[in-house]
This record gives sequence, C-alpha cells and structure tokens, in this order.
Amino acid sequence: MPKLLVCYKWVLNEQDIKIRPDDLSLDTSRAKGKISDFDRNAIEEASLIVEQQGGTVDALSYGTSAVKQSVKDVLSRGPNRLLWVGDPSAEEADAYVIASVLAAAIRKNGPYDLILCGEGSSDMFYQQIPARLAALLDLPCLTFVQKMTLEGGAVTALRKLGDCTEQVSVTGPAVVSVLSEINKPRIPSLKQVLGAAKKPSEEIPIASLGLTPEELAPKAVRKSPKGFLMNRKNVVYKESDAAANVAKLVASLAAEGLR
Amino acid sequence: MSILLTEEQELIGQSAREFAKEYLDPIAAELDHTGQFPAAIVKQLAAQDFLGLFVASEYGGAEAGYVSLVEVVENLSRSSAAVASILVNHSLAAYAIQRWGDAAQKQAFLPALAAGGTLGGFAVFEHGPTPGVGPNALIATKHAAGWALKGTKAYVRNAGAADVYVVLACTDPAAGAKAQAAFIVPAKAIGLSVGPLAETMGLKGCPVADLVFDDVVIADSALLGGPTDGQTITTETLALASVAEAAQTAGIGQAAVEHAAAYSKTRVQFGRPIATLQAIQTLLAETAADCHLARLGLRCAAKLMDDGEPFLVEAAMVKQFLARNGAKLLIDTVQVEGGFGYSEFMPLPRLFRDIAGTTLLDAPADYPEKTIAAALLA
Repeated sequence: MPKLLVCYKWVLNEQDIKIRPDDLSLDTSRAKGKISDFDRNAIEEASLIVEQQGGTVDALSYGTSAVKQSVKDVLSRGPNRLLWVGDPSAEEADAYVIASVLAAAIRKNGPYDLILCGEGSSDMFYQQIPARLAALLDLPCLTFVQKMTLEGGAVTALRKLGDCTEQVSVTGPAVVSVLSEINKPRIPSLKQVLGAAKKPSEEIPIASLGLTPEELAPKAVRKSPKGFLMNRKNVVYKESDAAANVAKLVASLAAEGLR
Repeated sequence: MSILLTEEQELIGQSAREFAKEYLDPIAAELDHTGQFPAAIVKQLAAQDFLGLFVASEYGGAEAGYVSLVEVVENLSRSSAAVASILVNHSLAAYAIQRWGDAAQKQAFLPALAAGGTLGGFAVFEHGPTPGVGPNALIATKHAAGWALKGTKAYVRNAGAADVYVVLACTDPAAGAKAQAAFIVPAKAIGLSVGPLAETMGLKGCPVADLVFDDVVIADSALLGGPTDGQTITTETLALASVAEAAQTAGIGQAAVEHAAAYSKTRVQFGRPIATLQAIQTLLAETAADCHLARLGLRCAAKLMDDGEPFLVEAAMVKQFLARNGAKLLIDTVQVEGGFGYSEFMPLPRLFRDIAGTTLLDAPADYPEKTIAAALLA
C-alpha cells in the first residue's frame, strides 16, 4: 500500500486583499486564509490515488500559527492525517527556508513512496519548492505534471511543456508537482467536513526538526509588496456615426502602439 | 472562526459556496428562464449531504444542525434561490417527520429523505383564508382502517417533484382550523393528483401547484404526531421556514449588493465611477448593513433550534425584519445599477423576483408581530 505525502500552503485569499489607493500597499486585515490553488489539485490527486489503490495520505504544511486554521479544511478533502509546522519564521520565509523545513519534517515522519506538491503557491508562486525538496531529499522530481499514474511503485507522468508534452516515468520515491488541469478538486460533502474532526493532526515543533539558524535564515528578503492598479482612460466616443467612433478608437489604439 | 459559527459551520458554508459557484452559477439564469425542475442538481445536493443536513446520523443524515442549514441555504441562494427553495421545502418535511414522527415513521422515511432517494414537500396552505375552512378545505375522515383525505392543498412547493408530502388536514369540519392533524402521504397514493404548475413571479424551477386529494385512503400509521397536533406542527415547521427563507433573502441580498458594488466601480458618470458618489455609497452601505443584521438574526434563531431552545419569537422577528427590508434590498441595488440593472441581461431582475418569493411565501401561522407581541405581553 503506498504511503503518500502532499505538501500545501495556507495562503491569504487574494480576493479579500485590498489595495490602498494612496500608497498601493496591501490591506490584508480582512483577508481569510485558503488552501493554495494548485495545492488543492495535489491534495485531490493524492486522495484519488489512495481511494483507488489503498494506502494513506499525510498532508504537511509550514506556516505561521494561522496554518492551524487549515486543519479541518484539508482533512475534509481526503488526507488521512495532517502534520503542520507553525512558527513565526514562516512570515519571512523564502523558498530556501520553506523547502528546508518541509524536507526536515519529511525526514522525521517519512519515508514516503510519493510526495506531491502544487506547481506554485497562489501568493508567491516561486515554483521552487518541489525542485528544492527533491534536491534536499535526493529524489527525482517531475514538474508541470498534468496527468499521472502510480503503479507498482512507478510513477508515469505527462508533463506539460511550452508547446508540447512529454511522458516520463520514474521508479521509486519521487517528488511530483501538479498543474490545475490534472483533476477537479472535490467539494467536501457535509459528512466529509464533519468527519475531518475525527482525523488525527499533529503540530511538529520547529525546534524538533534539528535545523540550524542558517537553514532558517531566508536568502531572499521580501520588501514591501505593492499592488497594481489598472488606470482606465475612461474615454467615450460620442459621435452619432458608429463608423466614426470606430475610426477614432482604432486611431487611438494605434497611437498607443497597438497595431 | 466567526463569533457565531464554529469552524465546521464555516467550512460547511464554504463548501456550499464552492458548490454554488461550480454548479448553480452556470444554470441560474437558464433555470429562471425555463422554470424546469432541476432534477440533476437535486441529485448533486444529495451527494453533498445537503438533503439530510440536520437529519440524525442514525437515519443517515449529516446531523449538522440548523445553523449549518441556514449557512447552506444562504450560500446556495447567492447563486440560485430557486434551488435553495427546493432544499428548504424538502427540509420542512424532513423536519416535521424527525420532530414528530414515531420510530417506525422515522425509519420508514428519514433515511431516503436524507440520502436524496426521496424528495419531500410540505403542504399546509389552502385556497381559503384559513386551512380547514371553505369549500376546498382538505378534510380527513376517520375510518376503521385509517383515514380518507378529500380536498385541496394550495401553493405546495416541490409539488409534482416530491415523493412524499407532510400534509395538514382538518379532522372536524365543524371545528375548522382548530381541528388539524398532519399526515405523511406518499406522492403515489391512489387518488392524489397534482394540479397545473402555477406561473410564479420568481423562484422558477421550484415547482408550485395544488395537491388534489380525491378520497385518498391512508393508514393510521400515516398520522404524524397526535390527531390534534396539526396546528403545533404547522406553527413550528413554518417558523423553521421563516428562518430558512430569511437565509434565502440574505443570500439574494448579498448577491445583489456585491453585484451592485462591482458595477458601481466600473460605471462612469460625471467623469468618475459612480462608486465615488455619496448617494451610491449610502445605498450600498444600507443594503450591506441590512444583509448583515438579517444574517445575525437568522443565525441566532437557528442556534436556538440547535440548542433545543424556544425559537418561535426569534423566527418571527427575522420574518418581520425581512418582510419590511427584503424587497428594499433589491429596489436599492437596482437603483444603483439604473437602467442597466433593470435590464434582463443583468442578474438583478431575477434576484428581484426571487426575493419577492422568499419574503412573501410560507407566511407563519400568525403574522409575526402577533407572535412577538404575545411574548412581550404574556
């Protein structure tokens, strides 16, 4: 029976984030958390594999204390157990730190036959975690996966490239990062939501992972993220002749460099 | 976690919202246009456990309670209040059977109602001003082997689609409204027929019709509660209807406010978006506040139900508040959107028609002010 792990990130719902018009800073005061979009696909794929073949799925996340809010949401979507590392260091963590923490937690709780991730997170979209995890765990890594099977310990994956696809297979444990087209994440039923409370979850103290201060120090420091506001020109062409309006619009677009 | 919702209740609301966006948003306008009963959607409601939402787990329900019910109803109504209306009327039948049914009745009906194999309907109203009075009143006559039902129930929702109805009938024509009993009647009972579907202003897709009983013979085991419990069953079940329909109203209002707010940011008048105008901001703020206050009130009533506390007065308060403010939510949001909002290619006309239904239909047994005043003056 395969033992799977799926990594996910608890991010702020971008629909709740407001941009302050005066300085374009982000107002996240009323933003709720959510499972990062691609990670929902990873959770679904891991759950489908186990539902079809048997086995177990652990879910793992590293975040601030807010990650605790994700426990029942994630468990209602299929995983059998949830492990989470909640620590203030996650606030400033870059891909290097995130991968270091996740890899240490995996070493502590593994081994796993397959590790699934989303291709990138909804907030930072570094797209580095799967590759870094694979490197730290000395495992093969398959990215941009839009279709996959797990048979007899071998993963066969269809990778989506720029203008083509390629089929790849690896034997043994691997890290796989999935795209949104791989599946349609389930909407948990009421019984699945209520059943989540009965599944085990465990906080892993970051101090128990044996990480050095260097491994918890971000290499890339994020500074004052700013919003982007699209300023519309609000031009209205009011000629009675529609053709004249179109001509003016085309001329205006051409003047903007659109041809 | 919200001060009024547990983590599970928030997740249940989130699941209902996800479901509504995925499955109801794409069909809501078409449903309003065709009025066809959405049988496939009802199956999906069952798959999400919504049809057995508060039914006890021993009968296959989710046993998630009434706060969860109103969370689901509100979030479905933000996309399609008609689909939510099907769920609400099904839930009224399930509620009555769970609340007053004996062990055999619960075992016979609740598992199928919870799983979605059986859709329920609740038949209370008649064409006369008061059930049990007038030429078309539904009369239940006792026979040695059971009861015979003759007459008509009016404005029955889920009519024709439901597999089982909880029906209020008069057991003594001389006593009229004072002698009411409730019965569980299968839709396929011999002599029971469904009248023509009523053309309704809104909530299209949730069928409304008369149920015509032509000497429908049912066994004693169909009697729900005691032979004089009909009025109690009606009063309490319609109070649940008031709370659930308040959730529909809040959901419709929320959808309208969000649409109008988004529109106001893109609609330019006098050289700037109308969202910058104080008059528009006032309309949006008032409608948003009304939705919020309604939500607090209906969640409070639902929480009382979950706690097994009396809730009729709080349900009446919610009904009264939205009877006064529900339609105004749509009048004001249409006002924000002006001529565009009035156009059928925009969603507000559908929401306008639907909110009229959720604030008018399933009136409580007495007008809400009477219930509230009676509690105050007792």
